Formats: sequence, structure tokens, C-alpha cells
Amino acid sequence: MSWLDALRQRAADLRGHSRDRDLDEEIAYHLELETARQISNGCDPVTARARAIARFGNSGQITDATRDERGAHTMEGGMQDLRWAARSLRKSPGFTALALFTLTLGIGATTVAFTVLDSVLLKPLPYREADRLVFVREQTAEQALLPPSYPNFVSWREAARSFSGVASAMSSGAETVWPSATGGDPLRVTIMGVSRRFFAILGVTPIIGREFTGDENIVGTVRAAMVSYEFWQTQMGGRMPLGSVRFDDTPISVVGVLPPNFRFINQADLYFPHEALPGTVRSAHNYLVVARLAPTATLQSARAEMTSLSKSLRAIYGNETQAAGADVRLLRDYLVADYRTMLAIVFGAAALVLLIACTNLTSALLARGRAREREIVVRAALGASRTRLVRQLVLESGLLVLCGAAMGTALAGGAIHVIGSVGANLIPRLNELGVDARVGAFVVSVAVATVLVVGVYPAFRLAHRDPGLALRDGRGTAMTVRAPVWRLLVGFEIALAVVLLIGSTLLIRTLHNILTADTGFDSQGIVTAAITPRRGDADRLEQIRSDLSTLPGVTGAAFTSRLPLSWGNMSAPVRRVTDPGDHDWPAFAGFRIISSDYFAVLRQPVVRGRAFTNADRTGAALVAVITPGIAEKLWPGQDPIGRSIGTNFLYDQWLTVVGVVAEASSWTMPRGSQNEIYVPLAQHPNNTEGQLVAVVRTAGDPAALIPAVRARLRQLYPGSAAQLGTMDERIERSAADRRFAMLALTAFGVIALLLAAVGIYGVIWYIVTTRTHDIGVRMALGATGGVVQAGILRDATLMALGGIAAGILGGVFATRYLQATLYGVSRLDPRTYVIGGGIALCTALLGAYIPARHSSRIDPMVAIRGE
Amino acid sequence: MGRETGDLLPGTFEMLILKALSLGDMHGWGIAERIERLSGGVCAVQQGAVYPVLQRLLRRGWLVADWRATENHRRARYYRLTASGRRQLESEVEWWRRSIGGVDRVLRAAAQEA
Repeated sequence: MSWLDALRQRAADLRGHSRDRDLDEEIAYHLELETARQISNGCDPVTARARAIARFGNSGQITDATRDERGAHTMEGGMQDLRWAARSLRKSPGFTALALFTLTLGIGATTVAFTVLDSVLLKPLPYREADRLVFVREQTAEQALLPPSYPNFVSWREAARSFSGVASAMSSGAETVWPSATGGDPLRVTIMGVSRRFFAILGVTPIIGREFTGDENIVGTVRAAMVSYEFWQTQMGGRMPLGSVRFDDTPISVVGVLPPNFRFINQADLYFPHEALPGTVRSAHNYLVVARLAPTATLQSARAEMTSLSKSLRAIYGNETQAAGADVRLLRDYLVADYRTMLAIVFGAAALVLLIACTNLTSALLARGRAREREIVVRAALGASRTRLVRQLVLESGLLVLCGAAMGTALAGGAIHVIGSVGANLIPRLNELGVDARVGAFVVSVAVATVLVVGVYPAFRLAHRDPGLALRDGRGTAMTVRAPVWRLLVGFEIALAVVLLIGSTLLIRTLHNILTADTGFDSQGIVTAAITPRRGDADRLEQIRSDLSTLPGVTGAAFTSRLPLSWGNMSAPVRRVTDPGDHDWPAFAGFRIISSDYFAVLRQPVVRGRAFTNADRTGAALVAVITPGIAEKLWPGQDPIGRSIGTNFLYDQWLTVVGVVAEASSWTMPRGSQNEIYVPLAQHPNNTEGQLVAVVRTAGDPAALIPAVRARLRQLYPGSAAQLGTMDERIERSAADRRFAMLALTAFGVIALLLAAVGIYGVIWYIVTTRTHDIGVRMALGATGGVVQAGILRDATLMALGGIAAGILGGVFATRYLQATLYGVSRLDPRTYVIGGGIALCTALLGAYIPARHSSRIDPMVAIRGE
Repeated sequence: MGRETGDLLPGTFEMLILKALSLGDMHGWGIAERIERLSGGVCAVQQGAVYPVLQRLLRRGWLVADWRATENHRRARYYRLTASGRRQLESEVEWWRRSIGGVDRVLRAAAQEA
């Protein structure tokens, strides 16, 4: 070949497309000439044309083979192969749709799970050098971990050498604030108090202004506030200068704006210097302490120092402090501790779904391979190299996975958006949810792994056939994948789906048990309204209470300083008259300040003595109602009514026990409780720490009552924006983490079922097609369609039962990881296993039904004659 | 199972195409037809099979192709043997003669020669 020819050839190579057309033209001309020859041999034109086509052979295969030849080993070859892959996928839309559906669900589910896992567990906290930040708590003699008191925090801050800085924050619930110093409507905002250098220690810099100075954060009055970026934008209109906000009648200047999305454990709109109004009770538990490890300190050394420090404080203050030791752990570990198991469960479930998707895809590709083996073998015979064939087949799978990954990521993006907006307040850090480079890298590696798993094996299997064998044997049975392999794949899928079903059923029942668990009071029909009482308003509050109870449909109303099922501890040591006052008080109790009717409204049963009445007011003897736990601790086996109880929550005052009330859930569902002491609001109107909650009972729908309560409160207590809700919502929230795991597991379980159904559908369909000939023979020999169909279904049932048995075994093993999460249901609960297996069996039969039905309609004559 | 007409020994199809083209430039159909005719119908392969092979021979530089007008004023792609193609044909024919002779001697062997 001369260099000129070579050059011409090269130039022609670059025009790939026109060469495709050239080939078509060449073939068309060929057929024309052959037809003409047949006619000249004496054929009529139609027969001549048919003969010409028959003599030419399969033009599609020849075109492909010619392209293979042309493009091998060149860049253009890569593009050619890609085009070939796309074309071959387009040629079988059913297979492609099924594969894409499977991949989208598999990759989408895994991506969602990884994104959640990544934002909650893996990504560093949004603070500077967050791995040096630790969270410090008091450890009681009973090993309980509790938030420290302000005096203990100060003692720690002064003495600890392990830290380069110690700071504290306190969530103070909600306050009524006017966003502008002049006029405007009051808002209910969440506020958080912060100590000196709080933001500096976290390593967070305000985007506007500064954090509080030491002068602003000393005992005295609150003169400055900081606001969240979101509050600044939505309520202050992003104004500059920042100006002031107003509490009651006091304007407070805003000195700084925090970065967008900043939050420390809880979200807050407004930050104030809490050391201006410090806590004084050493036994309280209401501050969150965060510290930065000094460069030389380790977690262990800090732990040791803080424990000995707490011990020496205990030596000085005795039972005034409840801290027998201290717990120091990484802030991140503290934040996500409760969710680690949940997220591991969710991620495990997603991995199972992906596994099922891969199994489906592998079996679909193998089945497709069988249908295509003639095509492949002919191309191999026409000279396509094995490497080339493998490359093309892998590329085909790769193209599928790529599309699947793209669709899966899009699906995940939508799901993540929903999860982020729904879950932001339920699970820490879920507000940071987002698809980023890490998630991208994850998706890519999942996709590559998927191609390797599902694409390479079937491709090699196909390309390495002996061409002669398949060409001669028309039906190509030599290629048939052995039936046991199919059964194994399908059984495996069903087993995985059963494991997921068992897990989600257990969690659904757990959630149901929690939500219907005995809380010690009747939560239905209760509206709650948090307000900010002004000092000395006791009479006014009583008036509001009786007024609220006259609203239409309302059967009663009361106030409490703390609702059941809410954190925020006013807890203090208590003693009998006979106990010495300086140390070793015999018990601790949480305090709740309540109005009369409270127990009646909540339907919390008084088991001994009486509840409070309107006679229990200022000037009358100080009284208390206690829970049985305290009675048992202070006066075991005796009648507590009429005895006196002392506490440093209410200094120098002795309370007479007038009643014993059944315990109600103090903190969380199902029963996170402490001993409690209730005292009447009328006798302690100024001890509510600026927060009071009205509880209003209605016979009807509580949500429908909310507007009426809001309107009445606005009218009765102007200037206080109330925060309203229902008690049932609160109970729902207290089970939020389990609900999240349950929803995730159920969603994945449903997806897994769907995929397993698709899988069994595909496999049965495949079996029916490969057996068409046999079925035809059997039907010709007298078998009816019904008999054939029943045979196929029996086959499917056997496969499903094998998988279900394996799945139940797997469930027995896998539910060990759910153990701690379950409530009120055994992880080996037989009903759950029956339900899981039953659903899987029904789904499998549903998947098998369509192809089985198809088998019963096979025309024996066509089946036997045709190939 | 007996052999069907049209089955070729591996590698011979390329040689036949080179040979057909050594008799004169020709288009795809003409090549297939020429081989079939010259073989007396023994080498009647599927005609389409010539195209992938032609493509392979083009790539190896043994052929060149161009579009020419035919006698009935149509466009057809004609293939022409290059110098290296001609050398390739000679060496293949040489190889073929040698191996066929060897195979033939084996087939003619009488029992006592073994």
C-alpha cells in the first residue's frame, strides 16, 4: 500500500458516519446484483429477491461484524463499540427497562443511605478542628450521665488543665421577642444562652459583628444578643446596622450574626450571654459543656483529670453536687451516639437492596446472553476477536449501569431533599444533608463495582463459547445456564427480601408499641401552649386557666412548668426532717410546678391522698404531691401523707406531702422517668424559670382546637406569643429515631420485594422460553394449559420456599443487631417471621404468574416446529 | 455429522478473496460470485460474509477500495489488490500448497508406512 493510499484510508477512517452509509449502499447494490442474477436464472422477481437476501445472510450481523473489523483497536473503535452497545440496548427495550428499573432502585437506595450516613456520622462537624472538641457531663454515683450545673461548669473551667478552653450553652426554650426595637409583632423564638468565648472555642466566627465580650457576659443584666443568619434574614430583613431586638420593654442590641446553618446541638434563633443570669444550684442539670482539648491532652488524660476534679468538688460540696465523676467524650460521638445503630441498620438494608439489584441484573444478563448467543457466535465466526466481544459486552453493561447510576442519583437527590426537610429536626446533623463530592465518589465506586460484578462474568461466559458448537446446535442448549444457578440466585434474592421484611415488621411493631405505651397519663385530646409568664402574675394565670377551660369543647385546662416527655431538668436533692442538712441527702427528684386541676386534666391518677386545690395558695401551708418512688425511698413501707420533705430547689422551705400520684413518663417514650415532686403554682409563681405550658383537654380533635386556644391566649395575655401543639405530636417526636429507622427499613423492604418479584418474573420467563419446545411436546401429548401452568407455578413456589427458609434463618441471625432498638416485641417473634415469609411467597407467585400463564397458551404446533 | 457445502478451512476465505481480486478489481458481489463460480459452487459461502473480511484486508493494507461508476451508471465500491496484498497472496498460496500436499500425503499413506 502506497503512502498515498494509507493517507486516503486514514482520512476515510475519520468519517465514521459516512462509512456506515457506504456499507449500507454497498449491501443494497450487492442485493440488487444478486437479484438480477436470480432473475436471469429464471426466477420471478419476488423469489429472486428472497433468494438474494437468503444467500447474503443476516445483514445486521454482517454490518456489525464489518464495523467491528473496521474499528478494532482504534479510538473510533471505542465509539463504535459504544454505539453498538447503545443500539443493542435499544433493540431489546424490555430488558433495558427492567435493568434500568433495577439499577435505579438499587443505586438510588444505596446513595440515599450513604448520604445520610455520611452527613450524620462521617463528615466532620462544622466547627474548626472538630476532632479536638469534647462534650463533658457529670456522672452520678449511679453512673447516670447528666448535664452539669453552672457552678460545676465554673469550677471545671477554673481548674481544668486538659483544655485550651471550656464553654457552656443552655437551651432556654422559647421566648417572646420583638425583632425591632420599635413596634412590630411579637415572635416566639428559640433562644440559647452561651458562656464567654463560646464561639471562639468552637472555632466559629460570626459573619457580621462579633461575639459577646467578657464585660457583656458577667453577672448583671443581658445587654447584648446574637442572632442566627436565618433569623437575621427572615425577621430582621437582613438589615444593617443590626440595631436592637426587644424583650418585653427592654431593647437589647444585636452585636453579631452567626454563619448560615450554624447550630450547636439544638437550633436557636437568638443567643444571649447566659453568664449574665447564671444558675446558682450546684445540683441542677441544665448546661451543655463543650471544651477544646489542649494540644498535649488526650481524651484519656482529660477524662482522668475531670474525674478527679469532680471527686474533689464532691469532697467540698457533698451532696449539693450530684457529680461523683465526669464523662468526657468527643462531641461528635455524643451527638450521634443514639443514631449509630439506626444508621448502621439503614445502611445495611440499603446494601441488601443493592445486592438484590445486582443479582437481578446478573441473572437478566445471563438470560439475555442465552438469547443472543447465536448472534455473538456468528460474529465470532466472522472474525470478531474475543477481546473485542468481551469489551463490547462489558461496555453494554457499563452503559446500562451508567444510565442506572444517573437515574439512581437523581432519585436519591429527590429522596434526600425530602428526608432533609422532614428529618432536620428529628436527627442531629440531618440538616447538613446534601449530595457532595464524597457522595459522588461513592456512587461512582458502587457503579464500577456493579459493572464488575454483573457485567464481566456474563460477558466472558458468552464470548468464550466454542463457535462451532452453538452454530450447529440450533437451540444453543450448550449455553443454557444450569438450573441450580438460577434457583440459587432467585432464592438468594428472596432470602434477602425476607430478612428486610422481618426487620421492618419488627420495627413497625416496636413503633406501634412505643406510641401506644402507657405514659402514665392520657395523651389524647390534649393541646399544649407554651407561654412566657411575667413575674407576680399568679392571679392572672389562674384567671386564664379557668377562662381556657370554658372554651367550647374543652373539658379542662391547667398549667405546668414542664410537660411530660420533655427534657430540661429542674432536679434537686430532697431530705426528711431527720436528715442532716449539709450532706448526704437521701434522694433526688425532678420538680414540676403545676396549677390545680393538672392531674385531672392529664388524667394522671392520684393513688393516695389528694391533688392540689384552690386552697393551696400563698399564705397557706406549703404542700407537695410526690411519686411512689420517693415515698418508697424516704419512708419505705410507711404512709407518706402528712410528712415533711425538704429540698434545695426551694431553699429553707419544708413541704407537707398531701398526695401520691402515679408516675408519668418524664423524658422519653416509652418510659424514661425519674422520681418527681409536684408543687402548686399558686405557692411558687416565680420559680417557673420563665416558662409555663397550658394543657387544655378537649373531647374532640385537639388540632382543631389550636386556633381557638391561640386566639383566646392572645386576647387574655397580650404580648405573649404562644407556641402551640398537641401532646400526641410530642409523643410522635419522642419516637422519631425509631420512626426514621422503621420508615427506611420498610421502604427498603418494599423495594427489595419489588426487585425480587422482578427477578423471579425474569427467571420464570426465561425458563418458559427455554422450555417452549418441551412444553409444546407435552401439550401435543395431551397436557392441558392448566397442567403446564401449575407445573411452572409449583417450580416457582419451590424456589420461593427455599429462599424464604434461608431468609428466616438470616433473620434469626440479622435481628441480633436490632435487639436494642426493639420494644415490646421479641426479635424472634414467630408471627413476624410468618408475615415476612408470607408476603415474600405472595410476591414471588405474583412475579411467576404472568410467565406461567404465558406458558399455558403456547401453541404446541408452533412450539415444536419453530425454533 | 457430515460437512456441508460452503464450510471452509480456517484462513482460506481471505486467500480466496485475495485470489479473486488478483484477477481484476471487483466489488463485493462480484467477488462472492467469482469465488463461487471458480470453485464450481463448492465454496458457496453466505455472500455477506465477504464484507467483514474485505474490511479486515483493507485494514491490513492488502487492499484498497474506491467508489467507481459501473457500466450501468451506478456507484459501486471496487476493491483492488495492493502490492503487499499480492505478496500476501503469494505467501498464502505457497503455504496452502505446502499444507495441502502434507495433508494429502498423510491421507494417501498405506498401512505399512506407519
